[in-house]
Amino acid sequence: MKILIVDDEQAIRDALGRKLNREGFEVVLCGDGLEGLRAFHAERPDVVILDIIMPGGMDGLTVCRRIREVTDTPIMMLSAQAVTEDDIIEGLNAGADEYLTKPVRLNEFVARVNALLRRSQLINIETEQGYNDGYLSIDVHRRHVHVNGRRIHLTPTEFKLLAVLMENSGRVVTQRDLLEQVWGHEYIDDVYYPRVYISQLRRKVEPDPANPIYILTEHRIGYRFEKQSPPLIKSQ
Amino acid sequence: MSLTNTITLLFNGFTIALSLGFLLIVLSQNARKELNQLFAALLFLVTLWNVGSLLALAFSLIDPSFSFIPLAISVMELGFTGASIAIYGLTAVLVGVHTKRFRALAFLSLVIVLGYQILLVLSRSPLPFESVGEGFYKYRFQPLAAFLYLTFDGMAFYLIWRYRRKIRRPSLFWGLNLFIIGQTLGFLNPELRVVSLSINLCSFATLIISFAILRQEIIVPLSERITQVEAVHKVSVAITSHIGIDIVLDQIAIQAVNWLSADGAGIFLNQGDDFELVTVYNLPSRYLHTRIAVGEGIIGLVANRRETVYLENYGRDWINGLNLPLADETFGSVISIPLIYGGDAIGVLMVIAGRQGRLFQTEDVSLLELLGSQAAVAIAHSHLFAEQFELTKQVEYARNQLEAVLTSTENPVIAIDRNLRLIFANKAAKSVLPINQNSVHEILAKYFPGRTNTNFKEIIRYLHKGRSYIYEVEVKSKSYLCHITKLGGPKTKGWVAILNDITQLKELDRLKSEMIRMTSHDLKNPLQAAMANLELISEDLTNYENTDIHKSIDIINKQLTRMNRIISGILDLERLKTVTPSIDICEAEKIISDILEDLEQLGSDQGITLKATSEKGIPNFLADPDQIKQALVNIVENAIKFTPRGGEVTISTKRNDSNIIFEIKDTGIGIPETLRDHIFDRFLRGGQKGQQGAEHITGSGLGLSLVKTVVENHQGKIWLTSSVAKGTTFFISLPAITENNDNQLSQGQEWKSETQLHA
Repeated sequence: MKILIVDDEQAIRDALGRKLNREGFEVVLCGDGLEGLRAFHAERPDVVILDIIMPGGMDGLTVCRRIREVTDTPIMMLSAQAVTEDDIIEGLNAGADEYLTKPVRLNEFVARVNALLRRSQLINIETEQGYNDGYLSIDVHRRHVHVNGRRIHLTPTEFKLLAVLMENSGRVVTQRDLLEQVWGHEYIDDVYYPRVYISQLRRKVEPDPANPIYILTEHRIGYRFEKQSPPLIKSQ
Repeated sequence: MSLTNTITLLFNGFTIALSLGFLLIVLSQNARKELNQLFAALLFLVTLWNVGSLLALAFSLIDPSFSFIPLAISVMELGFTGASIAIYGLTAVLVGVHTKRFRALAFLSLVIVLGYQILLVLSRSPLPFESVGEGFYKYRFQPLAAFLYLTFDGMAFYLIWRYRRKIRRPSLFWGLNLFIIGQTLGFLNPELRVVSLSINLCSFATLIISFAILRQEIIVPLSERITQVEAVHKVSVAITSHIGIDIVLDQIAIQAVNWLSADGAGIFLNQGDDFELVTVYNLPSRYLHTRIAVGEGIIGLVANRRETVYLENYGRDWINGLNLPLADETFGSVISIPLIYGGDAIGVLMVIAGRQGRLFQTEDVSLLELLGSQAAVAIAHSHLFAEQFELTKQVEYARNQLEAVLTSTENPVIAIDRNLRLIFANKAAKSVLPINQNSVHEILAKYFPGRTNTNFKEIIRYLHKGRSYIYEVEVKSKSYLCHITKLGGPKTKGWVAILNDITQLKELDRLKSEMIRMTSHDLKNPLQAAMANLELISEDLTNYENTDIHKSIDIINKQLTRMNRIISGILDLERLKTVTPSIDICEAEKIISDILEDLEQLGSDQGITLKATSEKGIPNFLADPDQIKQALVNIVENAIKFTPRGGEVTISTKRNDSNIIFEIKDTGIGIPETLRDHIFDRFLRGGQKGQQGAEHITGSGLGLSLVKTVVENHQGKIWLTSSVAKGTTFFISLPAITENNDNQLSQGQEWKSETQLHA
């Protein structure tokens, strides 16, 4: 497994790289965004670790967006700058699958990387079913999602989240179950993850994200996917 | 027929005619007045007397043995004795000493005389009389009649002389005297043969009396009325001409004296605690500015009771002490009337007659009261005028000052009235907004937050309670904090808005946030590098035996962790300030049980028992569950930290009116009084500030300030009670969802935006 680390702080990227090396990963280290993007295309890593604030013309968010234009490779943001949830959401909007704030413990860091890898590989959900009501269509097998006839781009995490919810459509999936099934048991305490990703997902698939009709919130329990009958949906 | 007889006859005839004439005049003037009634009775009886006498004389001249002569004599007797009774009555009324009993007596006497005469006529035992020729006749002395008329005449005579000062007209005085003398002569007549002298004198006296009474009752009052009208006119002119109050008061005093033919007058004015003599007329000027306490002396009595006091004789009737020097020696009659305005005695008018002057009478009182009411109005008006003038000056001054302040201030200030008309806008306001009389509506629509009608009404109601409504508004790319308050007292007259330019503050705040962000970034990167490398070293040295190295690594690790916590704390605070709480329905019990679950491990590690109690029926509340939970966790963690092993931390929830109260009680070391005021300050840590037993406790010192920010963001309150070595109890109160504000939920969005407004 090859992991690309882009961080302007050499001490950090070296330490993270050494740790990942010890864990048996192949590591590519880069010191700025442009170099990172080049390395990504050249090396085709399995996971990308991105710092956000970096010198030079390209920051982590831009790198992330550029990568997302071409591939679904799992991306982890690792930033010292996040202050508010909005910062995290901004990162996730750029297409990251994970957002960790510095300082992070090496063991935890490795665990998250592993979880990311697992998530991207375990795409084959048990069900072969798809979903299509004319407005929203989900092809689990091919990992394609269309909204209103246009194909939209979901990160692996987002897609997995949608798939898990759809699979359990009509039933409430608790936060805990979601964390375990989508992110992995390491994430069981990161209760805000589902919230952030759900709103992210709603923004992408709901006709009106403020008044969701597909992904509904069950207060303090979890979330529920509700199928819509085709006539209810009017394409806009 | 002798000359005397002729004169007597003529006199009788004249008297009868004139008497009847006077009778008509007096009765037509005022038949109800007692004096007039008695005067009429006198005239009637004198007429009877004269008629009787005339008839008797006439009959006896025609035929001395004419049988009607006794009847005429009876009539004459009746008139004669009756007249004596009437003259007494008249005198008594004139001097004002008559009583009810007297009237009965007089009436009874009259009836006796009348009855006696009628008896004589009916019994045909006429008075024995004897004609002595030439019209003179004499008859036997009648003891009853003599007794009656001598008694009444005597009494009348006494009254006339005793109260001669009360009889204002000398002609009346002498007329009465002459009448009595005349009647007394009649007593002598049988022997002195002067019966016609008596009747002639009395007739003459009656004419004099009639004339005097006519003058006193009709002519003088009429002419007095003219002077009264003139006096009232003068006073009115003085009042309305807005000349000084002193001149008005002087005028009133002068008029009072002239009107009552008094000797002096003074006006006392209420000066708050006492009455001051401010005007005197014909009184010693050293009396001026005499002060008399409220309730003291005549003045006090008059002012207190708001009633006129009339003293006929000051020295005799007033025994309650001295008002003014020499008053006892010089004052005769005194009338004091209160000057009442609006139910309050604002002064007292005192009119005095000297010892040798006239005695005032009750009519004088009503005259003076008439003047008094005018005086009161005059004084009150001039006071009001002076006050208003002063007030206008003050208001003008205050207005100028206020306007100067408002104009020179750089904060835009705008005031509008209830009808949304512009009252005031200072220079700053006009330079920021295109405000004028016509643009008020536009500006309100554009910059006032009450876009929806309900919201607007809410704000108006909020303002009406006297609170000021504060919101942020952007005008021409500048940020202002707008304070709106109502104008006027209990009734809202309008609203005033003051804009504070906070553009720079906001910019500073943004810079500060930016700086904190950058700082935290610059701190966290090295921290990450250090921690990561430390972990690598620690891994490298896993098999290394030297415990000192492991100890050092452990210490470095702990210090780095602590540093991280401090930085995170700062960032948490920063985040709370910038992030809108995501409001949800919170269940107190659920939150508490979550907290217990989270902290059980920490508690048992520290040897602390965690407990939770809850009242039944605790309502839910609206809050950001994560923030509230974090706040409570911080407090409970604190409680655990500051409680020695074996202690107890109890979380309980209660309901208090429309609030939920969380109570976190520990059996810890307590917080010294000196620390309590600063407990919520940033970076305060118990251990560093000499809190006994807390030296070993570490922390960022940010926990409680974070808690406070969270609680206040939720419109809640936080406070504590503590006693050293016994424990501390923190209280957090949050508004609950009650039946009344259940609809908050449906208006969640609005509620949230309001939260921001008031935060």
